[in-house]
Amino acid sequence: MRKLLVIIKREYLYRVRTKAFVITTVLMPLFVIFSAVAPALLFSIKSGGATRIAVVDQTGRLYESVRNSILTSRDEDDEEGAKTRPQAPARGMPGQQDGDEQMRQLGKATGQRYELEQVPTQGRALEEVRRELDERVRKNQLDGYVVLPANIMTSEGRAEYRGRNLGDMITTSQLRHGLRRAVIEQRMRDAQIDPRRVRELSKEIEMDAFKAGSGDEKDTGGSFGLAMGVGLFIYMGILLYGQVIMSSVVEEKTTRISEVLFSSVKSFQLMAGKLVGVSLVGMTQFGIWALAFLLLSIYGVAALAASGTKFTLPSVPPIFFLYAFVFFVIGFFMYATIFMIVGSMVTTEKEAGQLAMPVIFLSVASVYMIFPVIRAPNSPLAFWISISPFFSPVTMLVRIVTETPPPWQIALSVGIGLATILFFTWVAARVYRIGMLMYGKSASLPEVLRWVRQS
Amino acid sequence: MREANTPALVLEGVSKSFDEFVAVRDLSLTVRPGTIYGLLGPNGAGKTTTIRMIVNIIAPDTGRVLLYGRPMGEKLMDKIGYLPEERGLYKKMRIGDQLRFFGELKGLTPKQADERASRWLERLKLSEWKAKKTDELSKGMQQKIQFITTVMHEPDLLILDEVFSGLDPVNAELMIDVLHELKAAGRTIILSTHQMEQAERLCDDICLINKSRKVLDGSLREVKRGAGRRAVALRAEDTNGVLDDRSLVAGVKNLGDYSEVTLAEGADEQEVLRRLVAGGARVTRFESVEPSLHDIFIRKVSEG
Repeated sequence: MRKLLVIIKREYLYRVRTKAFVITTVLMPLFVIFSAVAPALLFSIKSGGATRIAVVDQTGRLYESVRNSILTSRDEDDEEGAKTRPQAPARGMPGQQDGDEQMRQLGKATGQRYELEQVPTQGRALEEVRRELDERVRKNQLDGYVVLPANIMTSEGRAEYRGRNLGDMITTSQLRHGLRRAVIEQRMRDAQIDPRRVRELSKEIEMDAFKAGSGDEKDTGGSFGLAMGVGLFIYMGILLYGQVIMSSVVEEKTTRISEVLFSSVKSFQLMAGKLVGVSLVGMTQFGIWALAFLLLSIYGVAALAASGTKFTLPSVPPIFFLYAFVFFVIGFFMYATIFMIVGSMVTTEKEAGQLAMPVIFLSVASVYMIFPVIRAPNSPLAFWISISPFFSPVTMLVRIVTETPPPWQIALSVGIGLATILFFTWVAARVYRIGMLMYGKSASLPEVLRWVRQS
Repeated sequence: MREANTPALVLEGVSKSFDEFVAVRDLSLTVRPGTIYGLLGPNGAGKTTTIRMIVNIIAPDTGRVLLYGRPMGEKLMDKIGYLPEERGLYKKMRIGDQLRFFGELKGLTPKQADERASRWLERLKLSEWKAKKTDELSKGMQQKIQFITTVMHEPDLLILDEVFSGLDPVNAELMIDVLHELKAAGRTIILSTHQMEQAERLCDDICLINKSRKVLDGSLREVKRGAGRRAVALRAEDTNGVLDDRSLVAGVKNLGDYSEVTLAEGADEQEVLRRLVAGGARVTRFESVEPSLHDIFIRKVSEG
């Protein structure tokens, strides 16, 4: 037991003190923040002030409302925008509409300004007007122009925008939105309908989801999000630390340190020590990231609250955090043991990398297992999946969140998980010990099975 | 624990096979406490497998390993210090941390480990390297560091596999001094080597294995005496035909300054000396020449 601690201590300090650890730990949150903020910042850097747009209005009566719609879109939309925004991610498949919406929000946030002018056609052919406007765009007197055909009020009419820079998605989507609103409202007015009345009547219907028999506590999907989050964390942990634990095994093999170690400790202790040591390194890193994320989101929530946005924190029962932690640890260890076995089979890190791919696939598969489970959390299928090694950590969590299974099932899942970890650590120790005595070649699977069976 | 008469190590009929290949066949040997024991043999003879069975890395198929009278097992691991032939240190770890780790692994407290590490680094003239990482050290330095990891927990039995390889002559001498000190302090040392000169200078007892079998063992003295060929280096005037007596002398080889006189079967060198002196010869050199361990090794290995 004392020797186990010595191994854990070395493994932990050795890795936490490396530059690579410090750098990734610090850079990752910075990278996340940067990638969240950078696009907005970069888009907001738009040189040259207002965007100059000419409008060719062939209907002869839309220009004013289009102009108003584009110039005022910011102020008038906010009452709607504020409400739709927090729900936006829940709306389902992200598509063109969503992307457009984001761009519009972004444009609003960056405070883009427009200058509009009407181009009188005065009986000239559209071709001629276009030529003239193209020329002005070329000379940089204009940034683009919009043509509203006479049949825009009927459904088959299509507006067109010709601009210098179609890559400026913010402008395109703000124009499209402004046009759409102006045309639709004009259509309503033509049909004797008050647009404001329509807006009032077509307000979004909200539905609060409660768990039956749980009182007034609203389930905003926070628990489910947490279950998914744990799945994601296990997956990330494996991606980041599977390699680490594998190379830790391979290093001792290639440098022949293992021979000294084996003359001092049992190979099982050595493997268990590695498993725990490297995992603690991973958890330290994740802990730091989680803390950074927490601080950020507290800041974010505070900022949202300050801007007057309604925002409900997802409510998660405290016991669930305990479950999440337990199953995360089990899940992480379970996959890590497989990496140890791979590490003890091979002689170079290169080979190890190739053999590691199936393990990563397995971890992805475990996330997909959520879908059959969430549809019918108490079905026999869900039961078997949630106690199977490698799938249990994530799926059992999902079951706990949805329809909490009886305690014995949770205990069974945890028990099988722990037994799996012990068994694979034992296998890894065995393969490692025998593999160390063989020189120069990686073991094949049949050989490994034979080693495991023999003394 | 360490009684005067209990052998430090006993192997009783130990065998080990890997699949079809027999690495060690029915090996028995006894290592007296407080001595230096040479485990000699050519490459592939089974030395490393034997050692791995002693240090509990692999279990023998048959036979027993007794350490101070007790069957070798996990609990006795800390009584042994093992320097494997293929050295290994963590490349990116500081020497000081590394020594503390190995010390703790062998049951020392961190403080004890640090103290002993400092003492040994000083003894082996490496103090200024304590904060360096392994890959900044030369091969010979790494070798000495590895040696410290082997001895710092003051094991009763030291097993050193090719301890001199990679050491320059100065460091090899330093190592020999250290080994003598350890022996004087009552430690038992097993040297596995195929460098016969070093073994001859250091070992009290030896065991020669070849092709997984023991070829001979015993004290260095016995082994040499048993090696058969006995000779005398002689420088003398007026030998009066004593050397022609075929019952005493098998042959004479003139080596310039002196002659090498090979004794006849069953003849006593003292008898030769007596006869020479009685015959009025002036003897200026009379030295019994033993076959070197090197010669014995070559002969035994090529015989087998």
